[in-house]
Amino acid sequence: MMHRILVVEDDPHLGAGVVENLRAEGYEVESVADGRRALEWLAGNACRLVLLDVMLPELDGLTVCRTLRERGDNTPVLFLTARGDPIDRVRGLEAGGDDYLAKPFHLRELLLRVRAILRRWEWYQSASAAEGAVLRFGGNEVEFRAFRARSWNGVAQELTEKEAMILKVLAERPGEIVSREDLLERVWGYDVFPSTRTVDNFILRLRKRFERDPANPRHFLTVWGVGYRFMTEGEPS
Amino acid sequence: MKAPRVFQLTALALVLVSAVQVGWWLFDQHRLAVDKLQEMQQIYAQQVVAAQALLEAGTPAARVQALLPDIVVNNQRAALSADVDGRLRAEERRRVAQYAWEGSFFIIALAACIAVIAGALRAEARVIEEQESFLALVSHQFKTPLASLQLSLETMSLRPLSPEQSRTLIDRMLSDLARMEGMVTQILESIRLDRGRIDLRNEPIDLAAAVARVITGSEERAAKERITVSADIERGLGVMADPLALDVILRNLLENALSAVAPLGGGTVAFTGRRADGEARLSIRDSGVGFRPGDAARLFQKFSRLHPGGGGSRFGTGLGLYIVRRLMQLTGGRIGAHSEGVGQGAEFVLAWPASEPRQSVAGAPGDAAVPARREHS
Repeated sequence: MMHRILVVEDDPHLGAGVVENLRAEGYEVESVADGRRALEWLAGNACRLVLLDVMLPELDGLTVCRTLRERGDNTPVLFLTARGDPIDRVRGLEAGGDDYLAKPFHLRELLLRVRAILRRWEWYQSASAAEGAVLRFGGNEVEFRAFRARSWNGVAQELTEKEAMILKVLAERPGEIVSREDLLERVWGYDVFPSTRTVDNFILRLRKRFERDPANPRHFLTVWGVGYRFMTEGEPS
Repeated sequence: MKAPRVFQLTALALVLVSAVQVGWWLFDQHRLAVDKLQEMQQIYAQQVVAAQALLEAGTPAARVQALLPDIVVNNQRAALSADVDGRLRAEERRRVAQYAWEGSFFIIALAACIAVIAGALRAEARVIEEQESFLALVSHQFKTPLASLQLSLETMSLRPLSPEQSRTLIDRMLSDLARMEGMVTQILESIRLDRGRIDLRNEPIDLAAAVARVITGSEERAAKERITVSADIERGLGVMADPLALDVILRNLLENALSAVAPLGGGTVAFTGRRADGEARLSIRDSGVGFRPGDAARLFQKFSRLHPGGGGSRFGTGLGLYIVRRLMQLTGGRIGAHSEGVGQGAEFVLAWPASEPRQSVAGAPGDAAVPARREHS
């Protein structure tokens, strides 16, 4: 299946190089040169991945990504940027990005990361479709495809892409221990985050959404030093 | 703890210790003066007793007063002269005041020294910060062409390419290299301008001739990008400036205008020169992508690249207009920029003190570099 990718890069040479290489890999590629046009294009078109430069004219890449997420658009975003400091990476991921590649980058690494993001996305989409895409536990109901949920107290929840994917990985192996590294690998890929604490933060968010008492979780259980165990029935308190 | 914080705390401690020290001096001096006063009062009391004894022994009052000048005799009664007590107290007040003034002066001088040192440290910190941010910006500016260069090379190494595709990539790499070379030149120029390490001449130049020469130099690019460049300079309009600096200024502004028009697929750039209010004014108006009116001042800052409307000088270093402004300042001129908004074109206006033109312009301008031959080492 041909995936469509949007490249947002203001440098014509770099943009053209990336576009040509992605096309050579068999992807359908569109490109724009500034943040405002990227948002306009994404408002009327769908794609599987956005390659987004951070320093862009009109609107910077971080704002573009944040706006996308606020719109409820969960299209994966891979940041390409000349700023490769850890703090810049964290900012990109906090803005809702999925991965971060510092310039100058290796072509093979770019292609690998693009493939990895698309593979994760495909896994999520196919797994969600195959299983009727609804998970029920402890009075909660999660619709994976729509990134929507209704918690035990009847509150409607809009899940972020990462929350839904973590929940999906855990729900695939109910009762089993899933390590933090495993979650990182399945949801983010490889060396995106500086630490596995990011996973812990996402688990805390899931507990707040779905646990009756987030301080004493019954579904999202911590296995100290290893990772997490997901219990559909709920651990007896 | 950061160095400025350590300095602030040390300075505060110094001032506090000095204030306590001065306070102690005042207290000690006051105590010494009081002791001295009491001692003197005792001595005078003994003199009064002695004088009274002499009087009672039949010594004439005049003789007693001659022996003890600070004692007065009234009706055969000896007493201390009134002004002696006043003198003693005045002496005490004088000494305390002396220490108070000297102490205050000492504390003020100390605080002034600390303020001077703090100012110097702050200035140094600002210079270091500017250097660091300059380095960060420079490295950032280089990463994009480097990334493009690396991508082109890796594409050539990874994929079988047709001769046409290879040619495209080679042209792209050569352009990236030229871009980086241009950046190095402009960065060095901006550093030299910052440090004032150039010596500019001030001589009358015919503006029309200078503009014509710069337009001729960009004819090929303008034609390729379908941009019409025109000039309407008042006959005989001259300016007082450095010929090579003027050439750099005009060349940078023309390049800037061409880059602003190019993304729109063509347009116009017009030079207009007029004499007004004792000044020679040159306007460079383009039909390019323009900029937000509020961004006018930001245009001339280092590494400022607004990229209005997705166009602008995509390959620019963000130093061209900064260099133009510095050169205008150094040659006694001024520059302003104006745009009605994004997509509305832009106008840059230069103004110099007017002068009579010369027939020939000294120094044939070379490339867009600030003249190296007049650089101070």
